[in-house]
Amino acid sequence: MRRRPEHRRARALYRRLIRFLPHDLGRRFGPDLEDLFAVRLGAARGPLGRGWVWARAILDLGVHGVLAPEWRPTYIDREDGMGGWLQDLRQGAKSLGRRPLASAGIVGTLALGVGAATATWSAVDGVLLTPLPYPEPDRLVAVWPTMNFNGAMVRDALAASPALESITGYSGWGFTLTGQGEPLEVRGARVSVDHFRVLGARPVLGRDFDAGEGVPGAGDVVVLSHGFWVRAFGADPAVVGRRIALSTNDADTRTVVGVMGPEFHPLAHDPDVWVPLTLPPGTDMADDDTWYVNDRVARLAPGATVAEAAEQIRGWARDVREHMPRLVTDEDVREADVRPLHLDATASVGPVLWASLGAVSLVLLMACANVANLLLARGEGRGHDLALRAALGARRPRIVRLLLVESTLLGAAGGALGIALSFGLVRGLVALAPPDFPRLDQIGVDGSVLLFALGATLLATLVAGVVPALRTSRVDATASLGRAARGTGRRGGSRLTPILVTAEVALAVVVVVGSGLMLKSLHRMTSEELGIAPDGLVVLRPSPPTGRYPDGPAFRSYYAQVLERVEALPEVERAAAIHLLPGTSDNWSFPTRPEGFESTDGTTPSVNIRLVTPGYLETVQVPLLQGRTLQPTDDEGGETVVVVNQAFVDRYWPAESDPLGLTLRITSTTARVVGVVGDVRQHGFGSEPRPEMYFAHGQLTWDATFWIVARVRPGIDPAAPARALRDAVWAVDPDVPVGGLEPLTSVYADSAATTRFLATVLGGFGLLALLLGAVGVFGVTAFAVGRRTGEFGVRVALGARRREVLGTAVGRSLVPVAVGLGVGLLAAAVTSRVLASVLYDVAPSDPATFGAVVLTLGAVALGAALLPAWRAAAVDPATVLRRE
Amino acid sequence: MPDSRAHPPLHPLEFRILMVLTAEPSYGTAIVREIERAEGGRMTIYPANLFRRIRDLSARGLLEECPSPEGADPRRTYLGLTPAGRRVARDEARRLRDLVREADARDLLGEAEG
Repeated sequence: MRRRPEHRRARALYRRLIRFLPHDLGRRFGPDLEDLFAVRLGAARGPLGRGWVWARAILDLGVHGVLAPEWRPTYIDREDGMGGWLQDLRQGAKSLGRRPLASAGIVGTLALGVGAATATWSAVDGVLLTPLPYPEPDRLVAVWPTMNFNGAMVRDALAASPALESITGYSGWGFTLTGQGEPLEVRGARVSVDHFRVLGARPVLGRDFDAGEGVPGAGDVVVLSHGFWVRAFGADPAVVGRRIALSTNDADTRTVVGVMGPEFHPLAHDPDVWVPLTLPPGTDMADDDTWYVNDRVARLAPGATVAEAAEQIRGWARDVREHMPRLVTDEDVREADVRPLHLDATASVGPVLWASLGAVSLVLLMACANVANLLLARGEGRGHDLALRAALGARRPRIVRLLLVESTLLGAAGGALGIALSFGLVRGLVALAPPDFPRLDQIGVDGSVLLFALGATLLATLVAGVVPALRTSRVDATASLGRAARGTGRRGGSRLTPILVTAEVALAVVVVVGSGLMLKSLHRMTSEELGIAPDGLVVLRPSPPTGRYPDGPAFRSYYAQVLERVEALPEVERAAAIHLLPGTSDNWSFPTRPEGFESTDGTTPSVNIRLVTPGYLETVQVPLLQGRTLQPTDDEGGETVVVVNQAFVDRYWPAESDPLGLTLRITSTTARVVGVVGDVRQHGFGSEPRPEMYFAHGQLTWDATFWIVARVRPGIDPAAPARALRDAVWAVDPDVPVGGLEPLTSVYADSAATTRFLATVLGGFGLLALLLGAVGVFGVTAFAVGRRTGEFGVRVALGARRREVLGTAVGRSLVPVAVGLGVGLLAAAVTSRVLASVLYDVAPSDPATFGAVVLTLGAVALGAALLPAWRAAAVDPATVLRRE
Repeated sequence: MPDSRAHPPLHPLEFRILMVLTAEPSYGTAIVREIERAEGGRMTIYPANLFRRIRDLSARGLLEECPSPEGADPRRTYLGLTPAGRRVARDEARRLRDLVREADARDLLGEAEG
């Protein structure tokens, strides 16, 4: 026989594989194996054929050569040793392959359960359990997180608490970068000079801030993030020491002193640049007007505890209240606290994630119950096969072992598929999460997550496999063989299945109630009256750099020109400007003294303020309740006027039927109320309207950049004129960056993102639970009525009407469903309290939701039971009787 | 008489191997070819599986190694039936014959053809 050279290579490779065979097998039959392989390879056509020969040869060597028991006869009943296990493995695989549909059902159910549980665990693990990415993260704490500080308070808090080693204040800030191509909006943060030292981080290039730079005049320095350094400066190391045109209200240019490494995780806001918070030395708390230090992070002194620090900060807060009562209220003092930073950073999502993990655990349990049910049904169907084994002498432990091997194989396949699924689910979860979801970058499938998946699979397999194995193995050979010949099964197994159905339905109720409550919350929240009409509104923010617009008049004339251009666009009906975008958490509040109002604790109330251009209230359609809105004539020349909302009147002038003409004092300005307008949910869906004041930006000339709000003409998509809007802004000044261009509806949609996220996740779990529950009830009913086909046939033959037979068949299946609904309702009444903190305007025990869940699940279960019962009742009595 | 406890029903492949070797001793590749020819492609032979069966049969004392005939490849192992192997093959053949007779009595063969 002539062989082509590649066959020689293939033979050599195959010969090498033969070496893995047990020695005697390879020595005695090696040449034969090789010859046969060569013959088959020679007969194979094309690369596909040769690949097939290779695949079979490898399978053959692996299964029969390597896995095969050593020198042992292949009797069916072999009780001991590895050989028996391996044989079981092969037999198990064969037996599963014979019922591909049932096996696929079991593997699919397990994969869904394990996949969903693994993905959820990866989120819990990454967000809540992974330590913060800083050295000694346990020593980092958040100081009085509910309070707004000024710079001097940050300094004094550290001095007042020996348990704190160092502290950093922190505040998000916007900058403009020019001179590097297109003007850029830059996200930044103002931080204490100790910021990086508190976090235990060092720049990779240059240095961080030194103590001298925390003073006005010396603070014109900047540290760049790694990403920004690469993006804006092409990773040029020479940028350190250079002066760049990074402007904000207190400086136009700054010297780059350092660049952070790519692995540095910022605390929040994901800033591109950090600049120092500055404070004139010796400034008193009461005189400091830098009231924007929103967050404080401190490092505990070695050996100090969180409780000690909290006690010291609370003492200091009482002290401040006593000596400077205008700065803090009694309520502020009650909320004074120090918390582990990790808990504080994830506080908003902790309950959400734990609730999701709880829900998915229940779904996993349901999957287990389903698989157990399917295995039981399979076991019943195999009574004959097992009886044969028993008749041939197989003892019970051996049969249990065989069944366990089978369920383990199913578990392994389900687990592997589940893990593969979880990779996709994690990606989906991250994509779905709201942008402000903390520590999103930490979510991923890693070692600990895989370990969890493995554990979940193992648990599922054992829970689902052991009981059916013990049950099914209890075979009575003679009886079973006799019955098998007649095609009827045992009745004994039916005691367990109703319990499984009850458990499954109960679990489904708990999960579906949770998702129902969340969906209702989302609906309530997003269908709430906002107080403005965001449909048809588009917003954008030009950021004129202070270097070019140094004073108020220059600023105002810039915005006036922009508004004029925007209003001239054919798509735009009208346009105005406001300094804080509605639908976001942006807020300014100032100590305000309404005429005649005295607070009970002597403090000056802090009231929200919005600077607007005339026409703003009309553009966003806030209803005017009394008086007039702001007009172009309300400028520097005229008397300072203010429009307040209804909540303001209700809070400060509850007795006044006509608040027009009353005055209020804000800083050193006195303003007269000329109008009252409706309340607006300024902070997005689910936020409560607060007392609020609108001032004309021509009268209260504070430093602020403005958002342009344009109403497009009816029938036009607000996203459509994006290009035209940008061009209109750049027509005034091409060096001004434009950001944040989007329809106002999507800004509001973002404000409900966390609720929507949880509703989607829990809704998905609820759907899965419903599906698994339906499959479970269907499977059990189908099996139960299938076993009783003979009985039904006899009854029909004896004159029973089909409807009665159907009723009996369905009735028996629905008893465990009803019990499950009851148990589930009781359980859900307890578990849904976990959701209380994330529900909106819905009680955890909302009767409508509970009722709807019972109806839905009941209907699904009825449908799932009716389908197979219908088939059973339609049985032809003659066929059945012949068989009997 | 061998009792059925010592020799439960043979695996079809094992029975095939014993049948091939009834005539004369042979070696692995030749055995595979012979079985494939006899089965006419109805049975897929996995070589390693076959040799494992041969090894099992040897271990049960049903097969033994024979000296190679003149001029044969010295690397090849020649196998032949032991007296016990011949007896088991005969018993299995009889068992199968009885089985077929019973099937026929139950009209199974007629049904299969009709």
